[in-house]
Amino acid sequence: MKYLSTFVLFLIFSTAYSQTYTVSGTMKDSTNGEDLFGGSVIVKELSNVGARANSYGFYSLTLEKGSYTLMYRSAGFETKEIKVDLTENMTLNVELSLPKDVQEMEDVVVTGVKENENITSSGMNVTKFDPKDIETIPVIFGEKDIMKTLQLTPGIKTAGEGNSGFFVRGGGADQNLVLLDEAVVYNASHLLGFFSVFNSDAVKDVSLYKSGIPAEYGGRASSVMDVKMKDGNNKKFGLSGGIGLISSRLAVEGPIVKDKGSFIVSGRRSYLDVFLGLSRDENIRNTKLYFYDLNAKANYKLSDKDRIFISGYFGRDNFSFGDQFGFDWGNATGTVRYNRIISDKLFSNTSVIFSNFNYRFTIGSDDEAFGVNSSIQDWNVKQDFSLFANQNNSLKFGFNAMHHTFMPGALTGGNESFNEIVLDSRYGLEFGAYVQNEQKIGPRINLMYGLRYSGFDLVGGTKFDYDDNGDLISQDSTIGRWESVQYHQGLEPRFSMSYVISESNSIKAGYNRNFQYLHQLSNSTTSSPTDVWVPSSNNIKPQIGDQVALGYYQNLKKNKYRISTEIYYKWLQNQIDYRNGANLILNDQVEGELVYGKGRTYGLELLLEKKKGKFKGWISYTLSRSLRQFDDINDGKEFSARQDRIHDVSVVLMYDITKNLALAGTFIYYTGDAVTFPSGKYEIGGNVIPLYTERNGYRMPDYHRADLGLTWYLKDKKRFEHNLNFSIYNVYGRENAFTISFQENQDTGETEAVQTALFKIVPSITYNFKIK
Amino acid sequence: MKYAALILGIIVLASCTKVIDVDLNEANPVTVIEANYTAEDSTVRVVVTETSNFFSNEDEPTIDDAIVTITDQSGNSQQVPFVANGEYVLNNYIPQFGTTYTMTVLANGVTYNASCKLNDLIPQNGIIYEYIEPGAFSGDGGYLVAVSYQDPAAEGDFTSAYLTKNDTLYKELDDITLNNDEFTNGNLVLRPVFVDLFDVGDTIEIELRTIDKKIYDYYNELISLIDPNSAAPANPTYQWENRALGYFSAYPSSRQTTVIQ
Repeated sequence: MKYLSTFVLFLIFSTAYSQTYTVSGTMKDSTNGEDLFGGSVIVKELSNVGARANSYGFYSLTLEKGSYTLMYRSAGFETKEIKVDLTENMTLNVELSLPKDVQEMEDVVVTGVKENENITSSGMNVTKFDPKDIETIPVIFGEKDIMKTLQLTPGIKTAGEGNSGFFVRGGGADQNLVLLDEAVVYNASHLLGFFSVFNSDAVKDVSLYKSGIPAEYGGRASSVMDVKMKDGNNKKFGLSGGIGLISSRLAVEGPIVKDKGSFIVSGRRSYLDVFLGLSRDENIRNTKLYFYDLNAKANYKLSDKDRIFISGYFGRDNFSFGDQFGFDWGNATGTVRYNRIISDKLFSNTSVIFSNFNYRFTIGSDDEAFGVNSSIQDWNVKQDFSLFANQNNSLKFGFNAMHHTFMPGALTGGNESFNEIVLDSRYGLEFGAYVQNEQKIGPRINLMYGLRYSGFDLVGGTKFDYDDNGDLISQDSTIGRWESVQYHQGLEPRFSMSYVISESNSIKAGYNRNFQYLHQLSNSTTSSPTDVWVPSSNNIKPQIGDQVALGYYQNLKKNKYRISTEIYYKWLQNQIDYRNGANLILNDQVEGELVYGKGRTYGLELLLEKKKGKFKGWISYTLSRSLRQFDDINDGKEFSARQDRIHDVSVVLMYDITKNLALAGTFIYYTGDAVTFPSGKYEIGGNVIPLYTERNGYRMPDYHRADLGLTWYLKDKKRFEHNLNFSIYNVYGRENAFTISFQENQDTGETEAVQTALFKIVPSITYNFKIK
Repeated sequence: MKYAALILGIIVLASCTKVIDVDLNEANPVTVIEANYTAEDSTVRVVVTETSNFFSNEDEPTIDDAIVTITDQSGNSQQVPFVANGEYVLNNYIPQFGTTYTMTVLANGVTYNASCKLNDLIPQNGIIYEYIEPGAFSGDGGYLVAVSYQDPAAEGDFTSAYLTKNDTLYKELDDITLNNDEFTNGNLVLRPVFVDLFDVGDTIEIELRTIDKKIYDYYNELISLIDPNSAAPANPTYQWENRALGYFSAYPSSRQTTVIQ
């Protein structure tokens, strides 16, 4: 850390001797006071001089004494020019408004582009979405879902039909860091993946980093998905919501004190079980199946320099059969943040973050009832600084410490023949410290380089030692609550750069190394809440992901069209799989069931995008492989990961037919998942047993599907706007294989391959409204 | 995940199935040896076959010229004579409980070895049954049967229970009720046998085998193998040296019979 402070001081003072002044402040949306994350300020008179606002809308720009025209801009907003005579340090808080024509058209989707930001920024491979941009894109059940729309972009692949889980560049589903206002979300899906936990009414912005991951993020090997909740309108009250076939939602927002503080509360509940209640079948009638979630956030400006935020999420899924069986699970997160503008160049954010995920089974209702429950809980303290050192350097540095509690499971109740069983909780301390600089060198080169140190200490609990076959050698339960069982650590270099060839094309390159200390174990093809999270230990090493990526970006016709081409290669170390017949639930010796190996993934991603005009959309194509190699699997030979989809195409088209009518369509095609099928059979005890020769040696049939959506903006009243959204999922009724199973035909006795498809054609309708 | 499948089933009221063509490779034949030594009737039974093509409708090819030998813990060997159709049987082979037996099969020029401990018998306490009302899981209702036994004080007892109704054995793999004593060590175990619900007048017989841990694990793997939700199915752990499929199990059985009234 000594070098770090010297470095920081050097950057501060290297410019202090010339006659410079700083203009700093915040950038906000004039309609609702939301911070403009991703806004920037550019000096008109100087080429390539400017500053980007941080995630709280704070910017700082240091210039030599003089007169300048400052251009403030942000995606979708009208650029604002302010002339300044810089003779002293000054504060300029700026509010940007929507372009005039958009305001007149009221509810028309804003998809303004920041000209050629994609060309000039150093950060590559970040996919960003504002929920507004995608509201006309059709999705299953009409429930707009940012996670599903992300899956339509290159390199991000769906975990399966209708599923909100995803794979990034061949990595596993558990290798994505999913953050909601800085809190880790351990299970980001409802109803086994058909809905994501992110209510689009509450979401301000989503960024997904595929490579060149900034050093401020750590903990997962493949990608980062950073979801930021809306702050709430601090100018006036508003109410918005939607009524759909499967679920409804409602959000309230408004000022606490005008221009000083605001809040937003939004909730959602599904009511599939209401329909089940109408069934004639008593069994179906007694079935409950629903989820709900609640997002709440409040912020308050204590002074011009101090601001406090409190945000929380609570969501739960519930499934039960009368009183015989119950199963519920959910996440809860909470974040308290304190922002302080320490000086006109230094911004500080301090956060205390809580996160919990748990699930619970109950079986039976009388005194023979028994239950199983399991949870993972985190407390995290985080300190981040942004330092706008000078025109050419802006630094971020900080640290965090997180305490994890893993409660792998407890079995309670039941009749006398069951012993109550409570598996020992395990505890982990995870540390991170980072420094990162974004540097401009001349008008053409932008660099972002950083280093993250991460450490993980498994403390307390029981220490298990296993031999090579996974059989327990010894176990030690005398370890103190804070005594270290195993410490892992690593240095994670992060680097990305861009070279601007001209105003309309650039090349970018990136490298990043990520350590992952928590691992999710899942032995089923569908994502399940019972997938267990386990910490690194004396047996499990941290997963390490290394990635290099290179991209070429070209804008055509005055930034109307964008083309991007990216290639990447990723190495994954210490990957985890299981032995045959592994039992993952209620097993305190689960580590004995694991085997370790490595992986590599590589690919080419192409994207053609049109972001302006009546007709918008994109075409994305990914050519990629994702391979794994384990000594104990497939005789040590390399095999395809399930998500090894060689070709993956998505087409998204959005067309404004009239001012009030918007049509959107999507088409998806990808190579079938790698799958293990038998290559022979034999009999055991009269039962036919399949013979396997190769892991994932076969392919599911190729997947393709088209969806259509029509949004009709109904006549607006002065303070009321509303629309109807019709969508059809799987328009041409393609029966895409969800599973293929081999079974004996009852009539002929022959063995047949039977495919099950989930959704043929799913129409839906949603009514959305907004009171301003 | 049975529950996951249930939830999926409910969400997807409109899911559809159809028979499709899948082109499967033809693997080279592998030797399959299913060897049992049942202490109950002092009989060794070995069936030696080969794997066949997955979609083949023929009976499994048998190996009729194998040399099959069983060896006790003291090293005394005895040949298991060929009977017919890949089957080899040795009668009146007197069990020595608590000792380990080794089976050797020489087939198509390869020698396969496996050994198994013959554990002591765990006696059953008698069959217990209880009426279950009609409901979501129980259909029209009926009698649920449970096997009951006193688990020995030492850890590491493994059992498998097989149910026969009116002389018909429930022989599907997932009809086998496997039990270990991880959660029930030293207790009076009352383990429901979830193969079916029964009616008044049904004659129920339960065979409780005391099995080796290897066999317990093997059957668990076999059962997980036929679960269609398994993400990455693979052959069960080889029980035979030189990689024949199948297993060798030596076990005692206790039987109980009851008529539901």
